[in-house]
Amino acid sequence: MNQYIKHYLVSLVFLMGGLLFAQQTIQGLITDESGVPLPGATVVVEGTSDGTTTDFDGNFSISATDGQNLLISFVGYQTLTVAVGADANYSVSLQPDNELEEVVVTALGIERNAKAVGYSITQVGGEEVNEIKSTNAITALQGKIAGVQISGNAAGAKGSTRIIIRGNSSLNGNNMPLYVIDGIPIDNTNLGSAGVWGGADAGDGISALNPDEVQSVSVLKGGAAAALYGSRASNGVILITTKKGTGVEGIQVELTSSIQFDDIKNDPYDPQRRYGQGRDFSTTSDTADTYANWGIALNGSSVEQWDGVSRAYSDKGNNMEKFYNTGETYINTVAISSSSQTGNVRMSYSNLQNKDILPNSSLTRHSLGLNATQKVKNITADVNLKHITDDAIGAPRLSDSPGNANFGIRLFAPSIDVNDMLGEGGLGTNADGTEFRTSDNTFSQNPWFAAYQYFDNSVKSRFIASGSVRWDITDFLYVKYRYGIDRYDYDRTSGTPFGTAYQPLGSMNEQKLTRQQTDTDFFVGTDNLSFLDDFSVTAFVGMNRNNITAENVSASGSNFIVPFLYNVKNTENQGNGYSFSEREISSVYGSAEIGYKDAVYLSLTARNDWFSTLSLAGKSSPNDDLYTSASLSVILSDLLPLPEEISFAKLRAGYSQVAGGAGNPYRLNLTYSIVDQGHQGASLGRISNGSIPNSEITPFEKNETEIGLDLRLMDNKYSIDFTYYDNETDGDIVGVSASPTSGYGSALANLGVITNKGVELLINANVIDKEDFNLGLTFNYSNNESKIVSTNDAGGNISLDEPRSRNLRVTHIVGEQFGALFGTSYVRDNQGRIVHDIEADGTPIPQVGPRKILGFGVSPVSLGFGANARYKDFTFSFLVEGKSGGQMFSGTNALAKYFGAHKATIDAGGREDGFTVSGVDANGSTFTSTIAPARIEDYWRRTYQIAEESIYDADYLRLRQVSLGYNVPSEMLENTFITSARVSLIGRNLFLISNSIENVDPESGYNVSNSQGLEWFGLPVPRSVGLNVNLKF
Amino acid sequence: MKRIYLLLIAFSLVITGCDFDEGFEEMNVDPTKASQLDVNNKFASVFLRTSGGRYENWRASLIYSSMIVQHMSSTATYWTGNFYTLNQGYSTSLFDRGYPEQVKEIEDIIYQLTEDGVTGTQMGIARIWRAFIYHRLTDLYGDIPYSEAGKGYIEGILKPAYDSQESIYMDMLAEIEAGLAQIGSGDALGASDLVFQGDLDKWRKFGNSLMLRLAMRLTKVDAATAQAWAVKAVNNGTMASNNDIAYIQHTLGPAGINKNGHGEVFSADGNPRMSKKFIEFLQNGNDPRLPILAARRSDGSTNPADLIGMPNGLTSGALEAAYGTTNEIYAEPNRAVLGGEDTPMVFQTYAEVEFLKAEAAKRGWISGDAATHYNNGVKAAMQMLSMLYTNAAAISDAQVNTYLAANPYVDADGMEMIHTQYWAATFLNEYEAFANWRRTGFPTLQPFGGEAVYAGNETNGQIPRRMIWPNSEESTNPDNYAAAVQRQGPNTLTTRVWWDRP
Repeated sequence: MNQYIKHYLVSLVFLMGGLLFAQQTIQGLITDESGVPLPGATVVVEGTSDGTTTDFDGNFSISATDGQNLLISFVGYQTLTVAVGADANYSVSLQPDNELEEVVVTALGIERNAKAVGYSITQVGGEEVNEIKSTNAITALQGKIAGVQISGNAAGAKGSTRIIIRGNSSLNGNNMPLYVIDGIPIDNTNLGSAGVWGGADAGDGISALNPDEVQSVSVLKGGAAAALYGSRASNGVILITTKKGTGVEGIQVELTSSIQFDDIKNDPYDPQRRYGQGRDFSTTSDTADTYANWGIALNGSSVEQWDGVSRAYSDKGNNMEKFYNTGETYINTVAISSSSQTGNVRMSYSNLQNKDILPNSSLTRHSLGLNATQKVKNITADVNLKHITDDAIGAPRLSDSPGNANFGIRLFAPSIDVNDMLGEGGLGTNADGTEFRTSDNTFSQNPWFAAYQYFDNSVKSRFIASGSVRWDITDFLYVKYRYGIDRYDYDRTSGTPFGTAYQPLGSMNEQKLTRQQTDTDFFVGTDNLSFLDDFSVTAFVGMNRNNITAENVSASGSNFIVPFLYNVKNTENQGNGYSFSEREISSVYGSAEIGYKDAVYLSLTARNDWFSTLSLAGKSSPNDDLYTSASLSVILSDLLPLPEEISFAKLRAGYSQVAGGAGNPYRLNLTYSIVDQGHQGASLGRISNGSIPNSEITPFEKNETEIGLDLRLMDNKYSIDFTYYDNETDGDIVGVSASPTSGYGSALANLGVITNKGVELLINANVIDKEDFNLGLTFNYSNNESKIVSTNDAGGNISLDEPRSRNLRVTHIVGEQFGALFGTSYVRDNQGRIVHDIEADGTPIPQVGPRKILGFGVSPVSLGFGANARYKDFTFSFLVEGKSGGQMFSGTNALAKYFGAHKATIDAGGREDGFTVSGVDANGSTFTSTIAPARIEDYWRRTYQIAEESIYDADYLRLRQVSLGYNVPSEMLENTFITSARVSLIGRNLFLISNSIENVDPESGYNVSNSQGLEWFGLPVPRSVGLNVNLKF
Repeated sequence: MKRIYLLLIAFSLVITGCDFDEGFEEMNVDPTKASQLDVNNKFASVFLRTSGGRYENWRASLIYSSMIVQHMSSTATYWTGNFYTLNQGYSTSLFDRGYPEQVKEIEDIIYQLTEDGVTGTQMGIARIWRAFIYHRLTDLYGDIPYSEAGKGYIEGILKPAYDSQESIYMDMLAEIEAGLAQIGSGDALGASDLVFQGDLDKWRKFGNSLMLRLAMRLTKVDAATAQAWAVKAVNNGTMASNNDIAYIQHTLGPAGINKNGHGEVFSADGNPRMSKKFIEFLQNGNDPRLPILAARRSDGSTNPADLIGMPNGLTSGALEAAYGTTNEIYAEPNRAVLGGEDTPMVFQTYAEVEFLKAEAAKRGWISGDAATHYNNGVKAAMQMLSMLYTNAAAISDAQVNTYLAANPYVDADGMEMIHTQYWAATFLNEYEAFANWRRTGFPTLQPFGGEAVYAGNETNGQIPRRMIWPNSEESTNPDNYAAAVQRQGPNTLTTRVWWDRP
């Protein structure tokens, strides 16, 4: 039966891979020990001068006769001798001769010997994302790569991720790296996120990546590494290579199954539980103000509550635990691979089912993948196809209170029970289906109603495909053509239900978005062209055209005619929208690597980009820029006599320029549009720009210098990789902030200058390396110092987002770090004492001081510490990850204080004894006075206006990942069809070892924009535990 | 090797022969937008945006102004105008929306007309409308960016200077006069004249009526100037009947901008109630407007006996403690008449003009009898309701006469009577009600309607006298902001604007 299935699959795979061709000369594929093809490996017929090198995909062809030997060599690998027999095809795996000599995937997918690389590049194996999975695979890299800062947000399983490499290099523009999957840049646009008025995270592009498909991830951190990608790589590049069929003998089937459970046990919210609902220190007043924690001490007496029902005035327990679910995530993948000497195929299907901790919020993802390579004579064709469907239900609303289920659930006074809020109609509704109101503020929804009756559902259908053809004209010269496309269709239906308190008749929106990105590349290159004895050259020139289009069609309506029938046509007021944008970058680029004696390598690149977004008829300033990079790698240990303890030493140095254009098209001139649908026969026309256009914008430039040292000590037992970098973005295209009284929010100008400098350190130690027992430790650290050098000609501030309290704004201020938290402060005298107004009854109320810098939303320091251990068939690993040096404005704490839910609003003696405040009055006289119980809330309500009160350091250390695995010994599998089996117990976000913020998780920001450091009632960050099974047969 | 050289040569030829940015200039033109519009495609938009969205009508107009003047009341503490507490964003909402929406668009219209050399009706109306937009802003905030505002693109001014309210008033009056002189020649507005449907005579009357409003604002600070402009306005011809009222008829949609912003608030928010002060005024006079304007919250009853006004400044707890009542028993703005989203938004009424004339007559600035103007004003204020609101019962001449007979004009109390009526007539024109109350002090309002002082208030128990500038101006326009604070005083709710003198 097994044989039958295998034969069937073989024929199926061959059908897909293409026909096999008989060969006249000897063909072969050379791979590394893990099956990754080795381009540039040398194949020589022993005893002759006939030789060749493998191509881009590790393939070679050579004439040789039966009985001759082929000597196959590659830098860093043991030379292998293969006897030529009757076969025409040879598939050869080389073993590394030295652990140092790794191969890394560099720009444009070119694999290079790590020692030739003159810049910092970090490559992690697929197992780092395969084993401890999440719905957004890229988050698995958090804490693992020095210089790469990954931040999630409080949006649950469907949320986006912010990844920043070596600091933020643009003041207002995109700061996220370019993602390249199998050679094709993909779109990572965040399709929507919460802002000051609330909203939901609509996800990003990279979250579609199926973790089980990842073969390796290469991070090109600096400009020297990424320069070949041009302007799109000014923030670094993350290269993802998905698994191929190479290295498989015959047919292999791989099954991976993982189950994970999420809970909120680690959520740090810890409100007061002594005082119940009420105002002015009484139980009876303001029964509808369910957030007011200003009642008297809980005493068990019967009190009429918000819904008119009398209940015991006592602690009703933890509403968060009652409300949130245990989340569940199931990821199952099946993959079939096959390879032959001339081609290989891998196809896979993966299914992800997620139920989020927020009730009625879920995600279903289907991923199909097909990677195939086929070689015919000296032509190699390669195809990668991926189709991903994301079906997301109930995107959680964050930030401002309307529709945000996370809002009330934290603020309800302890005498309020969320389980009393289900309502007659159930799930937060009255018998007639309208909102069962639980707050006197119409804009604060019943949490059940918010979770179950609001709707925000989307389907994203995505197709990522690339195909390339390479023609090896001679053994050292090739041409290659590649086309890639990333296209998705996104359908979103969202709305405010009929019967919502603030919008009784409801409203809804239908959105259909199509984004498409295509890349066409043509290049001519050489592999290891040797001239003279000691020199080698690898070089290529190429052209690229990158085109991005987006089309958005929307229909919206408000006031449903038939209640609860959620169709736009069923609304009284209907509107529609349409937008289209297209932009293109056209480029010419070239690269040359010159090697000398395999010990010194110089790499040079040059690229010229033309930007459609900077093109306008009549424009006199350039729309293009030429920029270059150079990097040098010197293997000191090969050139100098070094102490024996140093097994390897490499010095790296690189300098690079990268230019960038405006991110969005159509920003160079003023335009007008007809908006809405007119009024009583008149059309409504107006300026469409919110920002003042500027036709003379030119590309900005980012220059970077980096130096690094790569040291291996004590027979490679210890390795240290250190990098220092210094970069400057010049002429950044910024929206110079304008007073809204100018009519606009900002003006476009080439004025921004920002610098980042920092260090990256990676230390690995193979502490124990025995046959039965391995223990490896790893530590990484990075510290990035950013500085805003220039914002506009007047040195003014650039304002980004603000939190709902509107007393603070993330602001770029000259001379300061990126993203200052600039908000209202306490007024202090020269001794730092807080100045208060004294009310008529003697109550001190702190004065609201001017805005000043209260902190910075981006943490400069990131670190990770981990261990990998293996004992016989058991493996164990953990990772501790942390950040420090940044601050956060916590809206949850601000409102918890405003409503008296925060423990800080209670003195040690309890509110019965009042609340004691010390400070100085407006005349500078010191006072210490005790505020009467009924006035404590007035003190805290005033304090709410002072942003400084809610600024916290955002330092933390978290036990990010733990895995305990068992590889089933092969003896036990002997009589089964299974060839390999692995089971592991996994845990993510197991606990916060330290957290400098009260009540909220340090990673609870509500969006992934440049406005970092803002927190306002997000979803708790869950703890996950699960089981992972991997079978191969 | 030859092949290789050929290939390299071919490749370099391809590269040098390529025009790498071919088509980019065309690609970077937004296919969905225009580079300019007919100016008449812009007027309707600026009129609607002056009427405003739900945003600022909720916050600056209802939550602050209507509470401060005690037209309305609410127990919900986010109705901050009732408690004299500060919600920064609510207070700044007209400023926040007025500049990027109203000012930006009217300045663009005037720039286009200037560039095109238009000196006729379109320009005249644009100048009068610009004055209308700015007078609301300056009345609410005092010194504001005026001469340099809205010119971010036109003149590249990112940080407009704040002009003194005095200079703004002088310029607005001059602009209205100049605008009036331009009406009558050249192209008119066509379908985009949402205010007067092409009736230029009504535009003239409105311009003069606005001039009168602005003139009378100056009575305390510069009586001579006030008199000169008031006389000029009256001589030129102000509104003469309810047919001349300046308003925009809103519709039920389709978009938010088509709807009456106040109506949208009433759809969304059940918290506002009629204030005790206003209901008692209507009841004491046996005013026929009472059942039109108010209805009981709990059941919609408009029976005057059922209508109780809510005391100001009380939270629901304090209300219950003081009166033993819940907020459901109080009267709210009558949703059946006023609460619709398709109701008109009124900018200035004939009744207001008559009341201002009554004052001018009483001051002896214009000929005529204050009592006559007063009576005309009361009559117009009562009878305009059925004209403006479809569901309002008409108030007959007989009812008006009965009312006036029972509440005759007494010259000794003239100012109070005139401006209390003005206050009643500007219900739902809250910016104007707030400004006129500040100037005249009538009706006499007690802080919190005489109820207990709300403990958390931000005004030391005083009734607010202006709205605050946005805090963001401190960072985006720091020098000009600092100069304005220096000139006008601290950015608080209690600082008086220039024309507001004790």
